[in-house]
This record gives sequence, C-alpha cells and structure tokens, in this order.
Amino acid sequence: MIDWLAFLLVFVSALIGTVVVVSAYSLGIRLLTVSGRTPIVTPAEFTDAITIVTPAEIKQAEKRAKKAAKKSPLTDGQKRAALVGAWACFAVSGFAVLVGIYLIVGDHLIKIFS
Amino acid sequence: MDLTLIVVLVIALALFFDFTNGFHDTANAMATPIATGALKPKTAVALAALLNLVGAFLSTEVAKTISGGIIKEGEGGVLITPELIFAGLIGAIVWNMITWLLGLPSSSSHALFGGLIGAALVGAWIASAGNPIDFSVVMSKVILPAILAPLTAGLIAYAATKLAYAITRRYDGKPDGRDGFRHAQIFSSSLVALAHGTNDAQKTMGVITLTLVAAGLQPAGSDVYWWVIVTCAVAIALGTYMGGWRIIKTLGTGLTDVKPAQGFAAETATAATILASSHVGFALSTTQVASGSVIGSGLGRRGSKVRWRTAGRIGVGWLLTLPAAGAVGALAALVAHMGVVGIIIDTVVGVGVIVGIFLWSRRNEVSHHNVVSEVAHSGRAVKIKRNPKPKKKVTS
Repeated sequence: MIDWLAFLLVFVSALIGTVVVVSAYSLGIRLLTVSGRTPIVTPAEFTDAITIVTPAEIKQAEKRAKKAAKKSPLTDGQKRAALVGAWACFAVSGFAVLVGIYLIVGDHLIKIFS
Repeated sequence: MDLTLIVVLVIALALFFDFTNGFHDTANAMATPIATGALKPKTAVALAALLNLVGAFLSTEVAKTISGGIIKEGEGGVLITPELIFAGLIGAIVWNMITWLLGLPSSSSHALFGGLIGAALVGAWIASAGNPIDFSVVMSKVILPAILAPLTAGLIAYAATKLAYAITRRYDGKPDGRDGFRHAQIFSSSLVALAHGTNDAQKTMGVITLTLVAAGLQPAGSDVYWWVIVTCAVAIALGTYMGGWRIIKTLGTGLTDVKPAQGFAAETATAATILASSHVGFALSTTQVASGSVIGSGLGRRGSKVRWRTAGRIGVGWLLTLPAAGAVGALAALVAHMGVVGIIIDTVVGVGVIVGIFLWSRRNEVSHHNVVSEVAHSGRAVKIKRNPKPKKKVTS
C-alpha cells in the first residue's frame, strides 16, 4: 500500500517551512535596506568560483548604499520602525527553523533525555 | 564461516560505506555556501562534519525502514544471512566507487538499496524461497521518494527563489541588500548538513541493525543499539571532513554562478524536504534532493533556461543506480554462496576495486570528472543570462 498521504505531508510541510523561512528573511533584508542599513557582505574567501571583489569596489558599494540611504524620504522614526521590523523578521525566520527542527526530532530527543 | 567473524566484517564494511557516503556528500550541504562565499571552505567543511555528527543522533526512522521493512526477514520471508548483507554492501560500495570515478551522477543511498535488493533476490533464488523483497515497501519508501523528492525540492526551491527575489527587488536601481543572504546561508547550509545526518547516517545504522538481527544477536523489531548510532555518526562525520579537503582543493571547476539569495532558497528547500522525509521514514537520496533544489532555484531566476541534455544525463544516472548496484550485489551474493572461499573472493575483489580506484583517482586528481559533485554539476542544467533587466518599469 502506497502511502500517498505521507508524500503530500512531506510536500506541504516542506513548502510551508521553506516559504515562511525564506519570505521572513527576505522581508527582513528588505526592511533593513529601507531603514538605510543595506547589508554589504563580501565573500568570506575568494575560491576559484567567485569573481574577486577588490577593496575599492567594496568601498564603492558601501558609498552607494549610504547615498541611497541619505536620499530616503522616510523620517527617522519610520527608519527606526523598519529596523525593528527587520530584526523581528529575522527572529521569525530563525524561530520557524527551530520549531521545524523541534517538530521533527522533538519526540526523539525527549525519549533520549528521559 | 564463523558467524561473529562475518558479522564483524559486515559491520566494518558498513562503516566504510558510511565513510564514503560522507566523503561523497560534503558537497551537498557545502557546495552552495562555498560557491557564494558565505563560508570559508575550511569552516564550511568543519561545520558540515560537526552537524552530520549531531544529525545522526536526532532520528532513527530511516534506520527502521531499512532494518525492518524492505526485506522480509524471519518467518514467511527469506532467511537473510549476514553473507547476503555482505554481498549487498560490496555491490553498493563497488558501484559507488565506479560512478565516483566516472563522474556519473549517482546516489549512495540507491546504491545501498540496489545492492541489498540484488543480494536478497539471489539469496531467495538459491534457497528457492518465495519473493524476499517487499516490493510495496520498496516502491513506497524508496523508489517513489526517489522520484518525488527531487521534484518536491525543485518546486519548493523554485517558489522560494522567486519569493526571495520578488521581496527584495528594487525597481529604482538602489542597492537591494541581497548580499545579506550570505549570512542566512550559513544557517541554511548548516541545516542541510544536519538533515543529511538524520537521513544518511541512518542508512548504515539500518544495515548494521539488519545484520545483528540476521545473526540472531538482536531481537527483530527492537531499537537501534546506542553503540551502532555512535559509530555510524563518527564514521559519517569523519568521511565528511575528509571529503571536504578534496572540495577545498578543487572547488570552482564545475560550479555555476550561484547568487546568495538563490543559494539560501535552495538550501532551505533541501533541508526542509530532507527533514520532513526523515520524519516519515523515507530513505531518500540527499544528493538528488540537493540537485533538484539547485536546478529549481536556478529556474527561479530571471532569464534562466533548462539545459535538458545535462538534466537528462543526471536523470538517467539516477535511474541507473538501483539496478546497476543490484546487479553487482547479486553477483557478489552468487560468489558469496560458495562459502568461505566466496566471501574471501568477494573481499579481495572488493578491496581491490576500492584500492585500485583510489590509486587511479590520485593519479589525475584534478580532472573535472572526479571532482565536480553532482550538486555542482546540476547547476549546469540551468542556463542563466547575465543580468537581464527587470521587466517592470519604474512608475513614478
């Protein structure tokens, strides 16, 4: 007997989990940008696969981000609200991951430690 | 042959398989974060090894599928002997090494199932017993997940990539902050490594438990012994760590252009699919899921197109694994049936193949055949135009 319900369960739960985590994080990035703190994260190490970014280019990107932030029509209060929202989004994303892990291995862990 | 000796031999072989599995699969979790520069390769590999170790302790569902479902052991089924499991493992390892050498996309998990099924079929044929394989379990827990899981992961990764880009897209040309996804990738790729531990380390635990049950050292249907869990966890973590050095040395030959947002979406989709599958006991191939996600997320970017030839080649490799490993396993089982001599022949041939291939691969280490992981390779199945313009114009 093929358990189609199990497949559906896997698909739906994986989809919901992924959508929640990815959209919350993306929204966080969007809000962070809106608040004027555009994240500039350069690659940790330039392996062969990554085009090298020179320090000058990094500076340029930071300058561009600052300029864009200055031009922002938002008030300081709005910016602050966006920043808080951004961190709230990141927290939701992280929390969703923890809940997901707990749902999956929680029973097992409880069994081990009891 | 002495029962304890063969059990020890099988356990050693199973742990070696576990090691090669980790060795082979470091890239599943860490190819994308290394490709986008989210993590230093050395950090990535160490992290993957550690999380595989942790993940192995988190679940035993998949191990139960293997030890208690696929092969009908005991009354009404075939008497599965340690010799047969030994033959199945030889089949799996030999096929794994061959595909690794030829650069064929393959899956350690399917090689394992194929080998075991092939060996069990031969065992039943020799004993002229009935059908030893519970094909409905094979179908519902191995074959169907094998087909559906990469599709699931691909679809989810596609949707997630679209979402991530849509939410962060700016039509006014100002910086969009998508670099920030690099931080997220550290977590999502860690999650993939953890998920890998919950699924792949289980497979070896299942095999060892099956052997112990077959040898009468453990009652059927009981839980996995703790020392089995610990040794399997250590073997896969060690394999992951060792496999990583290969990646560090040679990374970059096959990886396509992966962007942080895309990598994050793909990794999250992979982790979610594997974790959910582990939970219901589907023994799927993490390699295939990760590949499905990489293809799906590639398609989620603007201006992308599938290279059907490459995608087809990957698909054929997947389909081929189970029967091919089954054939090797069946052959090994036939030889093992000859008794002690057969086991010795199997061992010698198996070790010969492993050592031979290992030495051969040393000789031309940095050719793209043996270094590009399937996951990295699957990125090539999608063609992406460089920086296509957003379609919507700014409305002011």
